[in-house]
Amino acid sequence: MSDQDLVVETVRDILTGFEPFALTADRRWDAGLWSALADAGLTGVGLPEEAGGSGGELADAVAIVRTLAAGAGAVPVAEQLLVAGPALLAADLDLPSPEEPTTFAIADAVTVHPVDDGDGPGRFTLTGTVPDVAWAGVASRVVVLAPAPGGIEGAVLALVDVSSLPASDAYNLAGEPRGSLVLEQAAASGALLSETRAGELRARYALARAVQLAAALEQVLAWTVQYAGERQQFGRPLGKFQAIQMELAEMAGEVTAVTALTDAAVQALDRGGNVVLAAAAAKVRAGAAVEVVARLAHQVHGAIGFTQEHKLHHLTRRLWSWRDEAGSELVWSRVLASGLLADGPDGLWPALTRVV
Amino acid sequence: MSNALTLAPAPRSEAAEQVRAEVREFLAAELAAGTFETHVDTWLSGVDPVFSRKLGERGWLGMTWPKKYGGHERSAMERYAVTEELLAAGAPVAAHWIADRQSGPNLLTYGTEKQRQEILPRIVAGECFFVIGMSEPDSGSDLASIRTKAVRNADGDWVVNGAKVWTSNAHHSHYGIVLVRTAPSDPAHRHAGMSQLLIDLSLPGITINPIRILDGGHHFNEVVFEDVVVPGDMLLGEEGNGWHQVTAELAFERSGPERFLSTYPLVAEFGRRVADSGDPAQLAVLGRISARVLALRQMSLRIAAALDRGELPNIPAALVKDVGTSFEGDVIEEIRKVVDVTPSLDSPDPLARALAEAQLHAPGYTLRGGTNEILRGIVARGLGLR
Repeated sequence: MSDQDLVVETVRDILTGFEPFALTADRRWDAGLWSALADAGLTGVGLPEEAGGSGGELADAVAIVRTLAAGAGAVPVAEQLLVAGPALLAADLDLPSPEEPTTFAIADAVTVHPVDDGDGPGRFTLTGTVPDVAWAGVASRVVVLAPAPGGIEGAVLALVDVSSLPASDAYNLAGEPRGSLVLEQAAASGALLSETRAGELRARYALARAVQLAAALEQVLAWTVQYAGERQQFGRPLGKFQAIQMELAEMAGEVTAVTALTDAAVQALDRGGNVVLAAAAAKVRAGAAVEVVARLAHQVHGAIGFTQEHKLHHLTRRLWSWRDEAGSELVWSRVLASGLLADGPDGLWPALTRVV
Repeated sequence: MSNALTLAPAPRSEAAEQVRAEVREFLAAELAAGTFETHVDTWLSGVDPVFSRKLGERGWLGMTWPKKYGGHERSAMERYAVTEELLAAGAPVAAHWIADRQSGPNLLTYGTEKQRQEILPRIVAGECFFVIGMSEPDSGSDLASIRTKAVRNADGDWVVNGAKVWTSNAHHSHYGIVLVRTAPSDPAHRHAGMSQLLIDLSLPGITINPIRILDGGHHFNEVVFEDVVVPGDMLLGEEGNGWHQVTAELAFERSGPERFLSTYPLVAEFGRRVADSGDPAQLAVLGRISARVLALRQMSLRIAAALDRGELPNIPAALVKDVGTSFEGDVIEEIRKVVDVTPSLDSPDPLARALAEAQLHAPGYTLRGGTNEILRGIVARGLGLR
């Protein structure tokens, strides 16, 4: 058994004790699942031990994120393991304890001021509203990517303690918290990043969502195939009807395409390739698959899949949300095309063979 | 997800990137010298025996085959890079395409030593071209219903009667591998009683009738066999094993980059337009198209890597062809929605010409090599539904 198989099995074992539930304003995340994962050291995987993490490879962290996404685990693990944690390390900032949830947010409207408060360089205050914060009100810290102070090129990556700040109530289509945080002279440790590094971070965030999308798409396909094999209509299983077989095959094509490209983008990130274009492509492709897979999954499941009592919604609602988060297909398709044309009008094909 | 559909990621191949660079250099020089012009769907319509011989001289045909038959014993990943570059450039590769992709591997698996030694080195040199003799006027994707028959005569030779259809470029080709009935059809065993014959297309009794497609081009043919006497030693593989042989053959046919790059020259032309215009709507469409190309490349590369591991991934191959050929047609609609261009084969605008070529060839993409409905049936089997 490979390390990743072991990781996946461990996460699956933990997940069996925490069935997915419909998220509401009263129950915005699965604190019990988070604690169980944290106790097992799984909320620090992929982050080096000397920095306070649990060690392990990027692939291990991705395996955890995938398993939790497929299980509709309502915890900020993708944000912490794939975006916030690596971002802090890359910026040489201290990693908070992995046992407390840390999320990531893009804060283009926040103003950053450097301060000299005697704690050394890298101290900033942040003022402004951070919108669409994944797990707002749940995560105790948020890693914010904000514009650099006036006159300075690039961006600031800052770690803000938000445990005492109220978050506005807002939720994505799956009920996951996506509220705003209002910062007023919030003190933070931070570091300056080049525009390139900031772009790579945005891409990492998009790739994290693509990884979640890929896992959820696979699971929705598997559920739908299973349902078609069990559900009898007109005296035989749905899956024996040619029309249903065509729909399931179409779903399988979409899912296989997403998996192949997302895997390749993760590998590109791992070997330090052009993560922006690879992540852009993965996010766009995964987003495009959502329409087909979610539509056909509900069509095959019939009306029962449209009810809150059936499990299907845990993932289809997340699919509809995640495809537009961390940059929609529109945003990333333009980034991808512009990047592919960077070498001029005849450079498209050579660029396509370099991305992943 | 079902293991039948999932393949391991392809390892990166330095050798493949090396040969890719060589092919790119070669193509740039040929384009600069004006020896070919870029077109859409050139693996069907770009017949140029001189160009095929040049590829043979460079060692880019029969790349994975044993050296004792003239092959180069290179990896499927290297071959993949070569085919992909040729298709992306819209190079004229139709003359040798079937022989290199399908007929040669078929001979390697099922041919006699004599057949291999006579024919394979000529394919490698780009001097021997093949057609596929599967479909018939009334059979389409239902190959079990074919009626062309071969019976042994007193000398042990085969006497063939019947007709094959959609045989691409038979009028430029030397041989066909033809699926025939060698025993009467048995409704209880539809796949029994079929065999493959290796038929020299210059034999007496063979008539090749052109079938023109929508753009007026002549690539397809009807090939009629009237009492054609085929030497007894030209049976390919085992008598009665034809169904099994053609099924295995289709894995090679369905998984290559020609299943998603037939209309790439149109995408390239669109890319030039977008680079020029910088139009945000066009950029978004180019990005969406590019993401689909990148995913399809990964799917197809995984199959090339599986072939290198000695696997025959029939079901993922069917999936690539379904997703890939749908994409080939989709790009026409995606592009025409964001450009104000009237497609015309005679236009001075290369984008208008590429759109016209891609449009007029479009019905073929999801038909050839087994209709997409048939392929989805294979995928459904892989999902455990049949």
